[in-house]
Amino acid sequence: MTTATLPAARLRGGTGSRRPGRGRIRFVRGLARWLFVVPAVVFVAVFFGYPLVKNVTMSLQHYTTTTFYTGEAPWVGFANYASIFASSLFSTTIINTGLFTIGSIVLQFIIGLLLALFFKRHFPLSGFLRSLLLLPWLLPIIASSAVWKWILDQDSGALNQFLGLFGVPPTPWLVSPSLALVAVIGVNIWLGIPFNTTILYSGLQAVPEELYEAASLDGATGWRAFWYITWPSIRSVVSVVVVLGVVYTLKVLDLILGLTGGGPANSTQTLATWTYQKSFVLFDFGQGAAVSNVLIAVSLVFAVVYLYLNRREVDE
Amino acid sequence: MKKSRIAAVLAGVATVALAITGCSAGGSGGSGGGGKALTIEDYYTKTYDPNYQICAKEVGVKVTINHVAGAGLIAKVLQQASSKTLPDVLMLDNPDVQQIAATGALSPLSNYGLDAGGDVKAVTAAGTYKGKLYGLAPVINSIALYYNTDLLQAAGVQPPKTWDELQAAAQKLTDPSKGQYGFAMSNINTYEGAWQFLPFFWTNGGDEKDIDSAGAAQALQFVVDLQNDGSMSKSSVSWAQADVNNQFIAGKAAMMINGPWQLPALNAAKNLKFDSVPIPVRDASQKITSPLGGEAFTVPVTGDKDKMALAGKFVGCLNKTSTQTKIAGTTGNVPSDSATADAWAKDHPQVASFVTVVKTARARTGELGADWPKAATKIYTAVQLALTGKAQPAAALKQAQAGD
Amino acid sequence: MSATRAIRVAEAGGASVAHRHHRPRWPMTILGILFLSIMIFPVYWMINTSLQAQAGAATVTWFPFQPTFAGYIGAIQDQGQNLVTSIIVALGTVVVTLVVATPAAYGLGRFKMPGMPVFLFVLLITQMIPTIVIANALYTLFNDIGLLNNYLGLILADSAAQIPFAVLLIRAFITSIPQSLVEAALVDGANNLRAFISIVVPISRNAIITAALFTFLGAWGDFLFALTLTSKPDVRPVTLGIYNYLSSNVQNWGPVMATAVLASLPAAVLLILAQRYIAAGAIGGAIK
Repeated sequence: MTTATLPAARLRGGTGSRRPGRGRIRFVRGLARWLFVVPAVVFVAVFFGYPLVKNVTMSLQHYTTTTFYTGEAPWVGFANYASIFASSLFSTTIINTGLFTIGSIVLQFIIGLLLALFFKRHFPLSGFLRSLLLLPWLLPIIASSAVWKWILDQDSGALNQFLGLFGVPPTPWLVSPSLALVAVIGVNIWLGIPFNTTILYSGLQAVPEELYEAASLDGATGWRAFWYITWPSIRSVVSVVVVLGVVYTLKVLDLILGLTGGGPANSTQTLATWTYQKSFVLFDFGQGAAVSNVLIAVSLVFAVVYLYLNRREVDE
Repeated sequence: MKKSRIAAVLAGVATVALAITGCSAGGSGGSGGGGKALTIEDYYTKTYDPNYQICAKEVGVKVTINHVAGAGLIAKVLQQASSKTLPDVLMLDNPDVQQIAATGALSPLSNYGLDAGGDVKAVTAAGTYKGKLYGLAPVINSIALYYNTDLLQAAGVQPPKTWDELQAAAQKLTDPSKGQYGFAMSNINTYEGAWQFLPFFWTNGGDEKDIDSAGAAQALQFVVDLQNDGSMSKSSVSWAQADVNNQFIAGKAAMMINGPWQLPALNAAKNLKFDSVPIPVRDASQKITSPLGGEAFTVPVTGDKDKMALAGKFVGCLNKTSTQTKIAGTTGNVPSDSATADAWAKDHPQVASFVTVVKTARARTGELGADWPKAATKIYTAVQLALTGKAQPAAALKQAQAGD
Repeated sequence: MSATRAIRVAEAGGASVAHRHHRPRWPMTILGILFLSIMIFPVYWMINTSLQAQAGAATVTWFPFQPTFAGYIGAIQDQGQNLVTSIIVALGTVVVTLVVATPAAYGLGRFKMPGMPVFLFVLLITQMIPTIVIANALYTLFNDIGLLNNYLGLILADSAAQIPFAVLLIRAFITSIPQSLVEAALVDGANNLRAFISIVVPISRNAIITAALFTFLGAWGDFLFALTLTSKPDVRPVTLGIYNYLSSNVQNWGPVMATAVLASLPAAVLLILAQRYIAAGAIGGAIK
């Protein structure tokens, strides 16, 4: 009996789920899913894709002030790249960029982590102090760089006056080529601590208490608890903080411009400030675009290498 | 519930924001009614507006004035050039005139029957590109050596006329116990730093076509010596002219190099008695060559022939000797017309040294035209290399000239 | 296990499950105050300067011995309009960003669609492009469309800059929401949109608020877009206002610093109000 009815059922269009109406619903559902994402895709294409393409194009042209009026920009192939690679400033900016980024990220991260661990233990006023910690982040960079310029002034700045109380001679923070980069890194660290602390703190909050309690029963506290429980739990948060941190630090421009303008004697000239210098001071936009493409490439290489190395740990 | 309240607030804001964006901010400042309207763009503050109104009345137009931040003016001009939205009257700092003229965005002022008239020679040199005049500056300035009369008197020092005198005076006027330096100037890594070095550079025979020369090295060595003597703060490499002025007003520097636009602030400072002399020369036989400062007015090519003609009349009005004196009065600068300037100096002794100096001033773009920015960058790079001790003056100039 | 834990922690406001006896740890408080004083000294200096009259760089004293509000009065007169502009632009940016980023985060976190991992990486790449490159390219584009010198243009530009980070942030949180919750709604006949609005959004409240906060701060502090995309004082955010103040050869820093202090106030207020959402492990629980 069953074998006779089955073929008949199949002839009638299968198990019933193949009715034409259902197919259309699936199609609409699929379309609706795309609609969730489409606005973001459009935004990214217009506001990032177009400038990126324009920037790459510009780096292959001889783009100067005249181009702005006449619209003519003769193709020069890789000549812009050749001249910036051959420039005496190229190695300087690469080294400065490297030192600036590594110095900023390492210290921002360590101090941010220490602060996050510090604030994890609740003590009187910890919530209030944690909110205050966000203040450096809130100030317009134009204003904070102006204030820091005063604080770091060799003769009358607050920092040297404070150090003078301990007998330290006036230090040429922003004026000596060897110290200027250190000073700029210091201010950038100051700026980056709130971001790091906030995100790392949230990451620490999500580590279950039971893990710590269980570990302490086994005798693992303090440093061992940190290494075996905390650190693995926050690996993915750390990834985000480090990758985004490096990407954002490579782009830093207004802080350095406000403090030193890339000087003295190019000692704080990074790839980002060099782009600005080439485009808006010397008005050679083709070369400026070339430098910014180098910057983006460096960023990209870092992200790819870092994500590849951490592929195993990141649950994405 | 919290969530719905937040949602309501956001919705309200969104409505407001969209409503406002519906009526986008259009042009303001120029009222409607009869008569054409001209747009002016500059980097001054509102205090300059009355000068425009004088000429607006005379030419019979309404003006919409757009003040842009100084550092961003050229970038703004370039953007406007590419979108063909240049203003009708454009103010440009005089070293930028040739560069913008080279793009083709400016119209020759001879089209409107304008010429430099009795202006000092440097004004024509700055505003001329390929033989045609594109920009005219109604008031000009330069830099000179200001000195604190009280401090000099107390130390028994006369205002210096030569480099040796300046070096000696600066040393005498330096008092570390009071935090007082004898001398201050701006050696910052921007065009301001290059501008302040030019008097020493040019007077001693330096040439911007090739900054690696013996005369230039000597001049640079002189500035380095002032710093190494302890007479000039090492912070000068991070000071703009405004910072130098602050140091002088605070009594932290007995002498400084600065321009007449600082006079309002200097006069406002309490208990500050000051005067100025031309910047010292190395050898008494030399004549001081200071750089020409001041902004020129140009007429961009907007395509609207009638408006351009009116703009031409407007620029001509601004450059009339009578308007020059009015503008000089509000800004502290010097009228460009030589004869007017001489008369002006008699009534305004504070600018006397500037009037003397602009007669022999030199336009920065006089030789290199649109290529001046590169040379300026080389100059301030060399100065910074030498002052920070990274290179000896001669080597610094060589390195800067070769590098890029 | 970890996802539900994260949600519970998030909703509990982040307070740790306190079974310990509370010994007030005053030494830590003192240490904290010491460190904070160093960190916010520049803020103190800013406020200090804003309360002094005729404050030139070399004449500012350590403490405002003769405090005056002249700087603030001047700041409000000159920059009041700019502060309002900044608020409008920042709030508008938050709205646009959330409206675009939240569905996208949901879509990217929930649906398996072709090209999505690539798009995620593209979002990361967008963060690498220097803002100045974007700003200059946008100028010509906006000029053709007529979006220069108006609020909508700035809002769109700032939103675009903030959307990638918001998407990454919210998406990370959404991936930790158990599939079962959403499936339940879909089986009941709701379509994706209904499920999204009535279930996903409320649960992701903390992550959305955190993203809103970062977005507001990002748009509030924007300078380059303001500089490039506006040329008239009508629509001028306060960051550009401060820049102009500094450029016009200001000898008196009182009003400049007062403006900076005023410019920091709205952001400070918002941060304090929303502090508990950030602390609520929203990000940490999300990025697992």
